Amino acid sequence: MKTLILTILFSAAVFAQPVIELKQPKSNKIVMKIRFANGSIADPKGKEGLTYAAAQLITQGGTKEMTYSEIQDKIYPWAAGYNVLVDKEVTTFTFMVHVDFLDQFYPIVKGLLLSPSFAEADFHRVMKNQQNYVDQVIRASSDEEYSKKALEDLLFRGTNYQHKVQGTSESVTSITLEDIKQHFTNAFTKNNVTIGIAGNYSETFLKQITSDLAQLSGKKFVSSKAGKANTPDGVQVEIIAKDNAFGSAVFTGTPLAITRSSKEFAALMVANSYLGEHRKSYGQLYQKLRETRSMNYGDYSYIEWYNNGGGNMLPPSGVPRSSNYFSLWIRPVQIAKQLKNQYAELSGITVGHAHFALRMAIREVDLIVKKGLTKEAFEATRTFLRSYTKLYVQTPNEQLGYLMDSRFYGRKDFITEVDKELATLTVKDVNAAVKKYWRTNNMFVAIITDKSEADALAKSLKENTASPMAYSDAVKAGLPKDVLTEDDIVATYKLNIKNVTIVDSKDTFQ
Amino acid sequence: MKTLLLIIAALMIVSVWNGPLAAQAKILPYPINQKQLPNGLNVVTVQFDSPGLAALYIVVRVGSRNEVEQGVTGFAHFFEHMMFRGTEKYSRDKYNDVLKSIGAGANANTWFDRTIYHMTGDATKLETMFEIEADRFMNLKYTEHDFKTEAGAVKGEYTKNNASPYAQLEENLLNTAFDKHTYKHTTMGFLKDVIDMPNQYTYSLEFFNRYYRPEYSTIVVVGDANAEQVNALAEKYFGMWQHGTHLSAVPPEPPQDTVRYTHLENGSIPPYLGLNFKTPAYSDQDINVPAIDVLNAILFSETSFLYKKLVLEEQKVRNLSGDMLFTRDPYLSSIEVSLVKKEDLQYVKDEILKAIEDFKKNGTTDKNLIETKSRMKYSYAMSIDNPSTIANSLSTFITLIGDPESLNRMYALYEKVTVDDLKAAATKYYVPSGLTVATISADAQGGVK
Repeated sequence: MKTLILTILFSAAVFAQPVIELKQPKSNKIVMKIRFANGSIADPKGKEGLTYAAAQLITQGGTKEMTYSEIQDKIYPWAAGYNVLVDKEVTTFTFMVHVDFLDQFYPIVKGLLLSPSFAEADFHRVMKNQQNYVDQVIRASSDEEYSKKALEDLLFRGTNYQHKVQGTSESVTSITLEDIKQHFTNAFTKNNVTIGIAGNYSETFLKQITSDLAQLSGKKFVSSKAGKANTPDGVQVEIIAKDNAFGSAVFTGTPLAITRSSKEFAALMVANSYLGEHRKSYGQLYQKLRETRSMNYGDYSYIEWYNNGGGNMLPPSGVPRSSNYFSLWIRPVQIAKQLKNQYAELSGITVGHAHFALRMAIREVDLIVKKGLTKEAFEATRTFLRSYTKLYVQTPNEQLGYLMDSRFYGRKDFITEVDKELATLTVKDVNAAVKKYWRTNNMFVAIITDKSEADALAKSLKENTASPMAYSDAVKAGLPKDVLTEDDIVATYKLNIKNVTIVDSKDTFQ
Repeated sequence: MKTLLLIIAALMIVSVWNGPLAAQAKILPYPINQKQLPNGLNVVTVQFDSPGLAALYIVVRVGSRNEVEQGVTGFAHFFEHMMFRGTEKYSRDKYNDVLKSIGAGANANTWFDRTIYHMTGDATKLETMFEIEADRFMNLKYTEHDFKTEAGAVKGEYTKNNASPYAQLEENLLNTAFDKHTYKHTTMGFLKDVIDMPNQYTYSLEFFNRYYRPEYSTIVVVGDANAEQVNALAEKYFGMWQHGTHLSAVPPEPPQDTVRYTHLENGSIPPYLGLNFKTPAYSDQDINVPAIDVLNAILFSETSFLYKKLVLEEQKVRNLSGDMLFTRDPYLSSIEVSLVKKEDLQYVKDEILKAIEDFKKNGTTDKNLIETKSRMKYSYAMSIDNPSTIANSLSTFITLIGDPESLNRMYALYEKVTVDDLKAAATKYYVPSGLTVATISADAQGGVK
């Protein structure tokens, strides 16, 4: 235990800026995370995407002393690297270097953070890519990611949380180099910076970096208040229709009042893990939708933002948020066109699996709210989480990231603390938290689907039409009776749908 | 106490600094212990400073490369799904319950040359991990109904992937670049075969019987475990696994004689150009293998002349990269470009080919070569900071030639590469008769000559 205490040092009192240290004298590298409490909510109105643009230009540009190209040439043989992650409320620069080259690498780190060149040519290059992302990439690369961003667009409409961190097609066009320079002075300051460092570094080095970063802009940064998720009137569905979609990608969510900072969060972690642990086969959603009915590749639930869920197996650090929502991710399910192509016996259907899948997922939440977890399910899930959460911090990079996120939530070390909270939790606590925080009557639903599916799906949802599960004969023949009985219940399960709109893909995120 | 140990473990995992990297004899600074059991199963242990934490990887040297029969493309991947459908002793639900009680991160993935099943978690639970894995590797049992049901999930995976135009192009690219070899199809398989999967139950039994055998498999444990302990567990749980008889015969690819083209009409993403050259199979004795990798870094990385010209100065290109995958049989080295305008496709292609031709004649400086080698070495050294990453990297070399030591041998071979080797590799492999050009643009035709 002594090791643990010695390892994590919170040094806020010693330095001008908050410092989070993780000393690892045996490590062969140093990880520095320089975090600014700004994020996309600090974007001025009409300039959405500005924080992202500034951060990109810093990492994709030069310093007063060196051009971008010269920096890349210099660090190339060391395999040193850096990147930036911009989220809603924070921006985190991460620098990583082998101990052999720290002394040579550091002046570049310092130059990028204190005196970025903001060169015109770099600006044009960076903005072209950002514009392309908001115009094209978000709509065309992954329907799953698209549906997730579309859900946030609904949940946070009218607030500073609505826009993607990259901004919108219109706002990105309006960002100028002068805007970026100003924003750098206003929002990347010594008053909103936190320094994180992990690995094999010396005290002298730490003193150096902290005294250097005290030279950041001295402007008083006034952080914006994070917009809260809207509570919809009933279930509000937005169907986004695009050409040549192979399936229907569904994300649904509703506001959640608590975050990691709450003592009740551990209770919701247990319930959420039971319902739909990310990329695990144990969750109820996965079991019912994928394992038993093979409707898609997987189905999960979330009680906080999960960055790049399609790519990450474990929740990455760097995206702490004070505005929260509870969501269900239904990975693309089959549309009528595809099912008809595959199975002759389904030639008469007009809607694919989306309506049934949505009913089934929401019903699973309702069942947990109504019945709660059993003692056995609670114990098994708690045991799992007490081990599994340790895997979140397998690398120095994630250890440091999680410690910094802990600070955001007013904690010291979330992973250690939540383990203690899980240890003392009871099934009663979990079931009470679920009853208190999970709602399915008022939800937003975003569905990305093919143009051929949109109208029929909208009608089916709006009119609460029965949506029997469309199985192939071969699968149906082998299903146990209890599954078919449950299907009948799900097929007519009433969702509180109040409105369904169809939006053309090209008109989204305006 | 167990919990506390795990907490400390999580905080103490580091890649050890063994002094300046230049002085290190092997790229992996930890001994690789290997033991082959009488049934042919290879057992690999790397002890690593991660108190309380261990990664268990099982590498089966079967992938889409082995899908030689007509109509069964995508089957190795489908079979990976079936491996989670249970046994008599551990039904699917019971297996899940055990996994959940271990609290491990566990999953599997399939690729051309292999299927990997992996778990990372509490090292004190290693015996349970061995028990449940050995059980399903030897005693997998599923009904025809389970099989047909799982086919739907695979179709779901295809559906998810298909949203990306790049995934669509990859399918076309492989189908164009290869005629006979099974690299002709992606690991996901052709859609018509994915659709037909529910009808292949009998073939699935044969597939398991052929490939889920000790001689095709290697167990890798990295973390808080020693070789003695791991070998004993392997013998106890996998010792009775029966050696099989199947020898996989993958048809060789006939030589290509002219440039090939494939195009995807799609205006929803930036125009794309891929120049894909046929390259040799992996070998830690063939200098061409590391030479092509180094060549790609010199010609197409962010510090390359081309990147500076096309991306930074002219800004006609958004991104440029060159990568060769290590594969068991000859595959492709791919130079990939994301462009700003489709009108520049021909220009960018010409510039890349010009740079390659120039390299064949003039090579590069020794300094550039030394710096590139240094980058590769440091990049690897910094990456190995946890058991899973190390196990994964060993799995790559086990896949390729069945021996994890090949990792160290390959990095030693990188050290030997000269500028002349680079020129020779470019001259031999970066030629029109080995090239397949892949494009995406809003136009009906690629239009690139």
